[in-house]
Amino acid sequence: MSAPDRSTGASPLRAAVGRDRALSACHAAVASALAAGADQASAFLAARNAGYTRFAQNRVHQPQDICEWTLMVRAEVDGRASRVATTDLQAASTIGERATERARALAVAYGHLPALRVVAAAEADDHDASLWLEDTAAWDTGARTAAARATMAEADRAGGAAYGMYGHAATELATVTAQGVSRYARATEAVGGLTVRIGDGTSHWTDVDRSLGVLDLEAAAARTVREAHAGQHRVDLPDGTYDVVLGPLATGALLERIAAFGFTGEAVADGVGAVARRPGELVAATAVDVADDPGAPRGLPFPFDLEGTTSVRVPLLDQGRVAQAVTDLASAARSGLAPTGHAHIAREETPHAVPASITMAGGATEDLLAGVERGLYVQRLWYLNVIDPETTTLTGGSRDACFLVEEGRLAQPVAPARFSESVFGALARVDAIGSEILAQPLMNVWNGCVSAPAVRVRGFRFGGAT
Amino acid sequence: MSTSAASPPTAHDWGDLADDVRASRLMEEALAATEVAGLSFADVRLVEAEELRLYTARSGDLDERSEHSAGIGVRVLLDGAWGFAAVPLSGPAAPGDGAPRQAAEHAVRSARAGSGLARAELPPRAPSSGRWEVPVELDPFAVRDEERHLLLQEVVRAASAPHAVRSVTAGLNAKRQHKHYADSEGSRQHQHLVESGAVLQATAVDASGVQRRSYPNSFHGNTAAGGWEYVTGLSLPSEAARVGEEAAQLLTAPHAPAGTASVVIGPAQMALQIHESVGHAIELDRILGDETNFAGTSWVQPADIGSLRYGSPAVTIVADPTLPGTRGTFAWDDEGTPAVRRTLVGEGVLREVLSSRESAARHGRETSGAARSDGWAYLPVPFATNVYLEPGTGSLPELLDRMGDGYYVDDNRSWSIDDRRLAFQFGTEVAWEVRRGRRGRLLRGFSYGGMTPQFWGSVEAVAGPEEFRSFGMPCGKGEPKQWGFLGHGAAPTLVRSVRIGVMG
Repeated sequence: MSAPDRSTGASPLRAAVGRDRALSACHAAVASALAAGADQASAFLAARNAGYTRFAQNRVHQPQDICEWTLMVRAEVDGRASRVATTDLQAASTIGERATERARALAVAYGHLPALRVVAAAEADDHDASLWLEDTAAWDTGARTAAARATMAEADRAGGAAYGMYGHAATELATVTAQGVSRYARATEAVGGLTVRIGDGTSHWTDVDRSLGVLDLEAAAARTVREAHAGQHRVDLPDGTYDVVLGPLATGALLERIAAFGFTGEAVADGVGAVARRPGELVAATAVDVADDPGAPRGLPFPFDLEGTTSVRVPLLDQGRVAQAVTDLASAARSGLAPTGHAHIAREETPHAVPASITMAGGATEDLLAGVERGLYVQRLWYLNVIDPETTTLTGGSRDACFLVEEGRLAQPVAPARFSESVFGALARVDAIGSEILAQPLMNVWNGCVSAPAVRVRGFRFGGAT
Repeated sequence: MSTSAASPPTAHDWGDLADDVRASRLMEEALAATEVAGLSFADVRLVEAEELRLYTARSGDLDERSEHSAGIGVRVLLDGAWGFAAVPLSGPAAPGDGAPRQAAEHAVRSARAGSGLARAELPPRAPSSGRWEVPVELDPFAVRDEERHLLLQEVVRAASAPHAVRSVTAGLNAKRQHKHYADSEGSRQHQHLVESGAVLQATAVDASGVQRRSYPNSFHGNTAAGGWEYVTGLSLPSEAARVGEEAAQLLTAPHAPAGTASVVIGPAQMALQIHESVGHAIELDRILGDETNFAGTSWVQPADIGSLRYGSPAVTIVADPTLPGTRGTFAWDDEGTPAVRRTLVGEGVLREVLSSRESAARHGRETSGAARSDGWAYLPVPFATNVYLEPGTGSLPELLDRMGDGYYVDDNRSWSIDDRRLAFQFGTEVAWEVRRGRRGRLLRGFSYGGMTPQFWGSVEAVAGPEEFRSFGMPCGKGEPKQWGFLGHGAAPTLVRSVRIGVMG
């Protein structure tokens, strides 16, 4: 009997479109819009070439090799703009014309509107060695599947099962405008997600970075198995207010909705939310620094946005005080703020600025549990949603490895519990910040990521919903 | 299966992939490239979609965009291991352009890497072939620009009338897509889906805070299978005026209380209640553990199917993608299984689950035809189809009269449920106090929470078919996350002993 053929013949990950082809398509789209009479025109091409190995128990149930791209042109006539997008790059020279016709129809229907500020000319190949990592590119189907096999075997030896996803991707963005902006960048992405179940104990780990090496997969898998083992025989968590240590993933989840609290140009223009109504107010502990940092060393840094604007670091909470808002060109014009390079076009939504690289600065406390006499450790928060943006109140639940803490040590494992808490309120009660950072993807945000450390919160209420 | 719709040919006659011969060549090319030793099954999804969105805001901002996408996804089962790959079609979808072969070869490659683990098996299925189209009276892509623009302007004006209304966003959307499917068992299918929708949100602001009202639904508006006739039937201008006024009134409305109460929940909120606490909970892949790492598992265990008491005898929940006009309407699911009506919960007992061929086979049952994929680029996984609560009898006033004292609430403001779909918490945009069956004061900040079986077990009555409303909504699942587009519907529902005022 011969050995099974598991040879994949895979080659290292490549960018799906490539610099020349991407810029050429964008230039063609812009040129066709201008030729059709557009006053302004811009185009971007966003592409993603990715491989994902999804596994559960003792099989790879969803191996996926997905290549996607879209070319979108924006044409403006009398200040009114229309966008046309396609996956057909051979249609690049016609979609600009279509967008211009649509924009002209809007101008007739709605009248003139002042034109948006344009991005200053910048022709650059935003090549950054920190964005493209060969270790990530080389993590092909065979290597990822081997890692998944090893993880599943380790969980099995511990009497449990592993569920997760290991993946890598090449992200590209090209942007061209009629004013001479012509930018292209490509970046690798390594992502790992793992949940181990042993009995009723579960533990979870997620991390995402440009470099596979940062993820330290073997150590993460071993730790997750250990935590799942320790998390068996859960009891229900009594309702109450606890001193809580939020793990890095839980802290990140708490921050992922921060845009809804008024940290966007749209909110400032509408006069709602924290930046408009509470600028400079101390709403969190002074040790808390939260920013949108497109150049962050962890997570998914990227140098510019879909409109070609250089993405700059925007402090959101600066030493605990309400600081600034992120903008795209439209919200910058409405609010009077500077463009910060945070344009985003989400599916089934109007284009709007979003923080896409949310980062909370790490601290120096190595053992946050040590300061908790009786309290709670929460590994992960789940399905958070905003109840009240003015009070920054979220509702959600805890998930996976959560433990009571007694005299500075993990004690009895506890089952998931619901909570409703003010994010500012919780951050105001932070008295220590850990040093380890984990990053996790932001759902529904292109190249979106939040990275955060563990924090210790003096008073976090669980219970009350059911 | 072949269903011909009495609709103008122009609504369906667009795009490169309207041509069955061309599409067939592309799919056969892909299938041929999967024919390697060890192959037991292969299927191909070839999709061309176009989506038009137009939004208008009170601020004068506009956003219009038209998005076109075409691509091919190939799935193989090789030596008991799955493989999948997807690539866009760059060009006029011509055979021989490389995309079908590339996708097929990559799918085979990924399957080879996963061989040697637990084997996946698919029981054989008889082929099912044909063509089906969503009935359309008025092609939404043929509507004059002026008509769309005037409607949106009127809607924004009406909703903006109250002084306190600070922002209004109104939008119209339309989508059409050719979905071609072929598999190694002989199925060859072409579905042309058309959908139309609208969204309106008005936000009122004063020193006390911010309040929002929405129409037809707070979560992405509403989208239905059909043409422009769906949009004109929404009475958008008059509803916009109501929505604006209610947003302003909520600013000074008393806060909803906490405690335990009887509640009549309106159709829009019930749609989300069904989605979160029934639809997701009975996806068979979740029940079997496949989604443990991300979307979660379920409080329903594999052995529960067929006998679990899920709710009261007043609760019958059906999955029926054959009903026209919903976002969960189709002739075949995304792995080629013909659409069939299924009773999921019959008079309170769990009878069936939402499954794909693979998950059903692992549980020793037939698929319920609920494998859905987001266009061409993602794997089909179990998602809700058109899942709704069967109506009972009587009008809303009659249901309020039956309740006596309590609250009538509708339209979601916030939502959250745990990873087993058991403990939930919802907030609604509006609530009215009800005393002796009569609607009274408007209240703000209403919220309620509960446990899934207790909630559904406390359903006392459901209003009749005349009060039934259906909603189309997006949903996310999987890694990488893919979107599902679903239909959910309900009539107002009376639930007793609900814990309210739970926002902490």
